[in-house]
Amino acid sequence: MITDNVIIKTENLKKSFGDIEVLKGITTDIKNGEVVVIIGASGSGKSTFLRTLNLLEEPTGGKIIFDGNDITDPKTDINLHRRKMGMVFQQFNLFPHMTILKNMTIAPIKLLGLSKADAEKRAIELLDKVGLADRKDAYPSQLSGGQKQRVAIVRALCMQPQVMLFDEPTSALDPEMVGEVLAVIKDLAKSGMTMAVVTHEMGFAKEVADRVFFIDEGVIAEEGTPDEIFNNPKSPRLQSFLSKVLI
Amino acid sequence: MQNFLNSIVKIFTDIAHEFEFVFIEGERYNQMITGFFNTLKITAGALGIGIIIGIVVAAIRSTFDKSGASMKRRGGIGYYILAFLNTICKIYLTVVRGTPVVVQLMISYFIIFVSVKDGVPIGIFAFGINSGAYVAEIFRSGIMSIDNGQFEAGRSLGLNYLQTMIYIIIPQAFKNVLPTLCNEFIALLKETSVAGYVGVMDLTKAGNSIAGRTYSYFMPLLTVAVIYLFIVMVLTTLVGALERRLRNSDH
Repeated sequence: MITDNVIIKTENLKKSFGDIEVLKGITTDIKNGEVVVIIGASGSGKSTFLRTLNLLEEPTGGKIIFDGNDITDPKTDINLHRRKMGMVFQQFNLFPHMTILKNMTIAPIKLLGLSKADAEKRAIELLDKVGLADRKDAYPSQLSGGQKQRVAIVRALCMQPQVMLFDEPTSALDPEMVGEVLAVIKDLAKSGMTMAVVTHEMGFAKEVADRVFFIDEGVIAEEGTPDEIFNNPKSPRLQSFLSKVLI
Repeated sequence: MQNFLNSIVKIFTDIAHEFEFVFIEGERYNQMITGFFNTLKITAGALGIGIIIGIVVAAIRSTFDKSGASMKRRGGIGYYILAFLNTICKIYLTVVRGTPVVVQLMISYFIIFVSVKDGVPIGIFAFGINSGAYVAEIFRSGIMSIDNGQFEAGRSLGLNYLQTMIYIIIPQAFKNVLPTLCNEFIALLKETSVAGYVGVMDLTKAGNSIAGRTYSYFMPLLTVAVIYLFIVMVLTTLVGALERRLRNSDH
């Protein structure tokens, strides 16, 4: 599934909050069809790295090239590029004042110019895939956490993005709901979607990742295949991190 | 028993006589009607102006708070225009909230619009400007109360700042601020009772004027109080109905 086309490329990416430098220069690339899983301790900068990729956090230095465009250039219309990068949040962030169907159709209708009927058809097909078609008229407050996160994933997919970004998608879930959300993400990975996933689920990382980034103190301290990262960690910091997390 | 009934009847006939003397004689009820409509006119007009000013000021202030820093980093003149407008808004809020509405009303009537002799449009202007400051802060608190994740979710789908505000943030914020907004409308209605200072025959002035003419205070002032109470109750009921309609998404 992985091609040689680089879809996202970062060059010496930096981000500071005030005096605190969270990202200290990250240079990497993600290829079309690749599943990159980003691991690291809390506060290491892994979420910040993910959030800079679609400029939810604006980098304070360096460049991000997405699909051949420098999106860190102030002249670039970031809204056009965000449509092509779906994002799933730890806290789901469904719109509580809209039904599930409305949550999923608002962006395609307003931005892609789809008719209401077409957008709803697309939404229902996707809901069906995650087993929630019967909840289309419910409001987010009527769903369980796992259901909310599945809706959040298909809401992003409604825009037919080229890349999906997941920011700790299972961290806010009750343990018994983690599986159902990971299953959806795994299916998506198998379908060839390019993905960057920040997670603490090491088992999941092993299973779906093509490449794993271990971010520590604002840099990619080590990267490699799941086998290299989990079975033959080189740096002492990764070894120490892995010894602390349950696999 | 007979005595008791007689005294009840007497109380009611006294009230009826009093009512006739105070309101019917000399057609003084006309003053109350004029007063009632002037109060409504000033309140409704000021409400309209207040909401428009409130939306504009809240939009400028919260845009500056939310994306001022990132605009500054990206450069360009936009940031300086926004910062300038934000400063104007802050001065407006400070001055308007820092001075009594009666003083603002009198400044409008006796200094700014010296040539206008009708107090009603001036009342609408002065109370509108005054209410706008409070409404602006109510709207801004509503916008800021919505979790930033909602904003990020909208932006991550590709909606621009304005679209995210209009479709995602404002509908939720409006629902949250409705009770406070209703409070402000009630306060505004009652504040218009000082319109008499600039010669407007509003409800309070009408009651006071009839009382002065008839040397009878009980009937006119109680009637005025009951009418204010009635308007407030109608307003509260309407806002309550709106709240219930908007609440259908929080099951």
